[in-house]
Amino acid sequence: MTDNNKKIERIELSTFYVGNALCGLDILQIQEINKLMEMTEVPQAPGYVNGILNLRGQIVTIVDIGKKLGLGETQKGPDSRNIVVSGKGGEHVGLFIKKIGDVVTAFPDQIESAPSNMKGIQGDFFVGVYKTENKLIGILDVERVLGFENE
Amino acid sequence: MKNKQTGESSIRVAISLLDELMNLAGELVLSRNQLLQAIKSSDTRNAEVVGQRIDLITSELQEAIMLTRMQPIGNVFNKFPRVVRDLSAKLDRKIEFTIVGQEIELDKTIIEAISDPLTHLIRNSVDHGIETPEQRRQKGKPILGNIILKAFHAAGQVVIEIIDDGKGIDGNMLVDVALQKALITADQAAALSENERINLILIPGFSTAPKVTDVSGRVVGMDVVKTNLDKLGGTILIKSEVDKGTTISITLPLTLAIIPCQIVRTGKERYAIPQANLEELLRIPAVQVKKRVERVGDAPVVRLRGNLLPLVKLSEVLGIKTIYEDINTGKQLPDRRKNIADRRSHQSPLISTDEQDRGDGRSSNEKKYRDGTERRQSIDSTLNIVVVSTGSMTYGLIVDQLQDSEEIVIKPLGCHLQHCEGYAGATIMGDGQISLILDVSNLAKMADLTSFEDTNRAIAIAAAEKTNIQKRKKQQALFTFRCSLNENFAIPLNQVERIEKVTAENVEVVGGKRVMQYRNGSLPLLSVDDVAMVQPLADQEELLVIVFKMRGHTIGLLATGPVDAVETTVDIDKITLKQRGIMGSMIINGQTTMMVDIVELVETVRPEWSIETALAEISNQSQEVISNSIQL
Repeated sequence: MTDNNKKIERIELSTFYVGNALCGLDILQIQEINKLMEMTEVPQAPGYVNGILNLRGQIVTIVDIGKKLGLGETQKGPDSRNIVVSGKGGEHVGLFIKKIGDVVTAFPDQIESAPSNMKGIQGDFFVGVYKTENKLIGILDVERVLGFENE
Repeated sequence: MKNKQTGESSIRVAISLLDELMNLAGELVLSRNQLLQAIKSSDTRNAEVVGQRIDLITSELQEAIMLTRMQPIGNVFNKFPRVVRDLSAKLDRKIEFTIVGQEIELDKTIIEAISDPLTHLIRNSVDHGIETPEQRRQKGKPILGNIILKAFHAAGQVVIEIIDDGKGIDGNMLVDVALQKALITADQAAALSENERINLILIPGFSTAPKVTDVSGRVVGMDVVKTNLDKLGGTILIKSEVDKGTTISITLPLTLAIIPCQIVRTGKERYAIPQANLEELLRIPAVQVKKRVERVGDAPVVRLRGNLLPLVKLSEVLGIKTIYEDINTGKQLPDRRKNIADRRSHQSPLISTDEQDRGDGRSSNEKKYRDGTERRQSIDSTLNIVVVSTGSMTYGLIVDQLQDSEEIVIKPLGCHLQHCEGYAGATIMGDGQISLILDVSNLAKMADLTSFEDTNRAIAIAAAEKTNIQKRKKQQALFTFRCSLNENFAIPLNQVERIEKVTAENVEVVGGKRVMQYRNGSLPLLSVDDVAMVQPLADQEELLVIVFKMRGHTIGLLATGPVDAVETTVDIDKITLKQRGIMGSMIINGQTTMMVDIVELVETVRPEWSIETALAEISNQSQEVISNSIQL
């Protein structure tokens, strides 16, 4: 029983770098992480949309998470990946990130709310911050980041 | 009502069809296993065979699944007998209502969407179409009116016809109403054919019912029917004869999910244009672009069988960086041309050395390609125009390349791209790439093309332009001469004071300027090639000096013969050969002749003469001289 409880309390965070910031997402929110495929550019799309790509017959909008968070454009490199998450209504959105990090097991009670000096857009986009021994992981609020509320 | 909605969310499918689907699914699984095996053992031949099978099964599967969505149109038709009966009782009409083709099947979404427009049309037929028994007797028609609702297949589409033998639609009355409501202008009205008059009823804001009844005459008119059908990719056509009856034909696609599209390329990406919006494809060869693409104000248009077709550049509307493919390297480079008819070279194409150069350039292919002459004439510069219609208007979409026509499956775009209005969705192409489906009517909106009024404005501007041109086309006396041996020039005859024959020795170069002794003084000389990029003055013994006065100075223009004075209609092309010192060009006696702008010429050579006031005065004068006919 206690064992079970512990399991429930633990969450696994998939971490990745957005600019130089280490961010994390609950691994259960992530559908898959893939290497870049050929993207189709969408003229007239908002600046943070990199394009759309075909993921096994599904059309996935790729969002440059760095741009969206105001951390600057994410450069395409050998380590860059798309993290595909499913958003509202089963729609798939890919987060374009610089580099993928480790999977970190976290205890929810160790997650602190976003510091109050993290203002503006960025503060809004984080659910909380998780402290590991040597670094901090900002946990993203996917729904918020992907702006399912229309701008 | 609730019942109806739950009813619509489920669907009845024949067991046989379900069995067929099951079969196909089984086959698909088997083929997949084979394919995996073939791939594992790198058996390419086998993989190919299995690939073909999968291809076949997939298309069969697609067809079968589409069939499950097909519903008989009778589901909608069945409610109409009651509608007609109720209405005819209320309005005191005697009507026999016939339904034909209930078994015709259509996609479920279309069936659902067509119900309201059809109801509207049927009510119209009962209320406005069929007369009261009294009126019918007076007209000598059988008292019983007929309304036929008919569905049938035609050319891969479904046609629904509503036929009545009522009083018909009076086109002239529609024109009067349209004029009253200022929906069209009197000029337009005069130009309408009988059929077009009747179809005026489809314009937004048009409702002819003289009084509002609870049946019809509410502001919601036929335009709503049309808009609804447009959304479905359907069309509506009305035929009518006064006192004989009306036939309304609605053409609908069988299904919405898969649509045939024309694939085009602009910039790096491919785009799909639904075939329903496609009217025709137009290709203007590079050499004709200049001639056929005209400008009305700022707007490029092309004359297509007597109509002005507004042109919209897809890359401009969507803000795509234009590129062109370099013929030599095959590399894609940014295209810096702005206007469709922009030329890259400043040199006149009339110059013969250039002609020769171009010939050389073709063969060596290296020297000339950078200056653009080559590129402008290449197949790449051909203008590809997709003529699209949105129901209310037709326009030409300029794209980089026309590709195949393909059947595509529409997929919705994500919420981040919802506000990109130019797209109706996206589709996955055969090679796995995505292309965007263009929404033609929204593109028109984005390009600021508005339907009825604006096309009219374009026409009005065109007409104004025409009268302008005609005004300018008055007779004028011109003096033609040459500078080099094979280029013709002209100046208005009234600017010429006299012509002197001189020999080359008479021309002296003093202080870096050419002068000539003339009437005990020095006559400053200049020639057209001093300013304009034309061939240099012919090096010959006998020269002509055209003496004219400007701002109190007497100046001589060096020229060669043969000279002539012609009276001609001056229709100056101010674009093609316009350059400094040359006002434009025209054809005189079958030869392209450049009109010399004396004022500009003198201004360039002797800038010290241009005192502000004098300049204004003279240029006014000379412009008058040029634009008005000469009284001499």
